[in-house]
Amino acid sequence: MSDKLINISNISKIYKLGKVDVKALRRIDLQIREGEFITVMGPSGSGKSTLMNILGCLDTPTNGKYLLEDVDISQLNDNQLAAIRNKKIGFVFQNFNLLSRSNVYRNVELPLIYSNNNLGRKKKVLEAIDSVGLTDWISHRPSELSGGQKQRVAIARALSNDPSIIFADEPTGNLDSITGEEIIAIFQKLNKQGKTILMVTHEQEIARHSQKIIYLRDGLIGKKEKIDNPIDAEDHLKKMPRIEDRVN
Amino acid sequence: MKTFLENIKVAFQSLALNKVRSFLTMLGIIIGVGAVVAMLSIGTGAQNMVLENIQDIGSNLIIIAPGEQDQDSGYEQMLGMQKQDQLKIKDVEAIKRQSELIDGAIPVILSSSIASYLGDNSKVSIYASSREAEEIYNFEIETGNFYTDSDVANSSNVAVIGQTVIEDLFGKKNPIGELIKIDGKNFTVIGTIKEMGTDQFGNDQDNMISVPITTAQNKLYGLDYINLILAKARNEQVIDSANTEITNILRKEHNLRPDESNDFTVRSQTQILDIVGNIANIFTITIAGIASISLLVGGIGIMNIMLVSVTERTREIGIRKAVGAKNKDILIQFLIESVVLSISGGIVGIAFAVIVSILINNLTVLDTSVTIFPIILALSFSSVVGLFFGIYPAMRAARLNPIDALRYE
Ligand SMILES: Nc1ncnc2c1ncn2[C@@H]1O[C@H](COP(=O)(O)OP(=O)(O)OP(=O)(O)O)[C@@H](O)[C@H]1O
Ligand SMILES: [Mg+2]
Repeated sequence: MSDKLINISNISKIYKLGKVDVKALRRIDLQIREGEFITVMGPSGSGKSTLMNILGCLDTPTNGKYLLEDVDISQLNDNQLAAIRNKKIGFVFQNFNLLSRSNVYRNVELPLIYSNNNLGRKKKVLEAIDSVGLTDWISHRPSELSGGQKQRVAIARALSNDPSIIFADEPTGNLDSITGEEIIAIFQKLNKQGKTILMVTHEQEIARHSQKIIYLRDGLIGKKEKIDNPIDAEDHLKKMPRIEDRVN
Repeated sequence: MKTFLENIKVAFQSLALNKVRSFLTMLGIIIGVGAVVAMLSIGTGAQNMVLENIQDIGSNLIIIAPGEQDQDSGYEQMLGMQKQDQLKIKDVEAIKRQSELIDGAIPVILSSSIASYLGDNSKVSIYASSREAEEIYNFEIETGNFYTDSDVANSSNVAVIGQTVIEDLFGKKNPIGELIKIDGKNFTVIGTIKEMGTDQFGNDQDNMISVPITTAQNKLYGLDYINLILAKARNEQVIDSANTEITNILRKEHNLRPDESNDFTVRSQTQILDIVGNIANIFTITIAGIASISLLVGGIGIMNIMLVSVTERTREIGIRKAVGAKNKDILIQFLIESVVLSISGGIVGIAFAVIVSILINNLTVLDTSVTIFPIILALSFSSVVGLFFGIYPAMRAARLNPIDALRYE
């Protein structure tokens, strides 16, 4: 196995809207190594979500080659793609995408229901919930949770089947800055434990927590910026004014 | 297996979430299954009753009716819609004289008249026959005697009466030796018959007076013919040959040429059982028709609601696919949901039918019974309906592309 967890080359995505072709991605190349924490930035409509969805095997590229752990994704059928999503990928959405009728436990358990391995299912679920600090909320439904808590559930769900990589498309987009910072703290913790993370954000502040920023523009990768001293979210949270302080 | 149970749970949850909608969807199945199971239980009850009654009168019995009937007009004959006068008392005599395969034969006139005693009136069935009726028809004498050959020969005005008649006209008083009027004519009560209960049509068999056949012909109704001849074969083995023998005797008696068809019908118990079976079959086919229509309607209802459900839950489908659900998993989830919907309908329908059956059992003379067969039938049919009408919506759900499903607003 090469040291590249993800290796895409020449990836294009063209949406056909009537007579107009929208080129969301134009011949993109990108490599991600295991253990990296990378942020994708770029103006609205630059193709960030399109890229994430293709990398997350939710969508297929129009052209190009996608190797995930040396497996050629473009050759796989629906069932094989489902298995990849299930075992290799954890996806965190901006709008959480939780099952509203199921409690926290059931939501986090969901990927495990669809994997054939039933061994230690409960333990995995409890560990994932614990790692996002929601153990006390285990039997609550999403409607009873705050936005930050919902996003923690979504992260726990992405973690529960122990994937190779976590994709997060604007995970803090619907959250206030402190709650967002808390979510990023969780990602940093996971990254320290060895998880590879690819995240989309609009905020420089958030992006500066990762090790590398990739800028997208009009479906093309522009400059890449290496962050030498990523902000530590835990430290940052301590320095941030508490809500109580701001109220006074 | 665990996923399967999980799916069933999810199915019940989503049905519980829309209780009214689920119930309305199930209604078609409930009505269909309920009607079928209830009707079958009533049908079984009715059929058992007919069979019991026929067995009561003895299985070696041969029934000779006037006019020629094929199997199909058996109905009308049984219901007395055809009045025919081809059979005479002398035919009974001829059969008794010439047949070697029967133990006895009796003429029968069935009618109804007004009986009265000291001003009390009552409408009664008249069952006129000869002395041998006591044995052939299994009349059991309670007190007094049945009429004799000489009563028949002399057209005596004597009557043997049933329990309901005693109750209506005499109350607690001993009726033996009393004078009653039948259609205005005086008759002496010479015997009473033990309780016989109701027949298959719910008629009270005890509201009956039996008089000598000749008395009925000459003094009550002015007839020269009779309604039926009942003959008893020696044993079950000779029934068919006895039928043929009687047919030959009567053809000769009626001077029929070889090219003329019979002007009477000879039937044995087994043939009558066949007729009952035929009627039961027609009944069953009718029920099956009603059932298929209501199951079809119910199935369309299920398909409709499942399509709505798939649309409403597009996002859920997207989420499940995003975390690794295969097309097959989604297909099974929605199929289970529609099967759960239709089987639940089936179960409610069966419960409903059982209640109806118990009510009928308690409120009418019919001895209904819900057997395991229609229940299994109903359950398997409703699951087939659930599968059949659920497959299209489930396939639509399964085929959804994950990203399109997630984007669905
Ligand atoms: N399903 C679709 N059908 C047609 N065009 C699409 C579709 N999805 C995205 N596009 C187009 O592709 C381009 C890239 O969209 P994408 O959602 O990837 O942008 P983005 O960088 O995520 O933007 P944002 O920051 O607003 O989320 C846009 O021009 C968009 O209009
Ligand atoms: Mg986007």
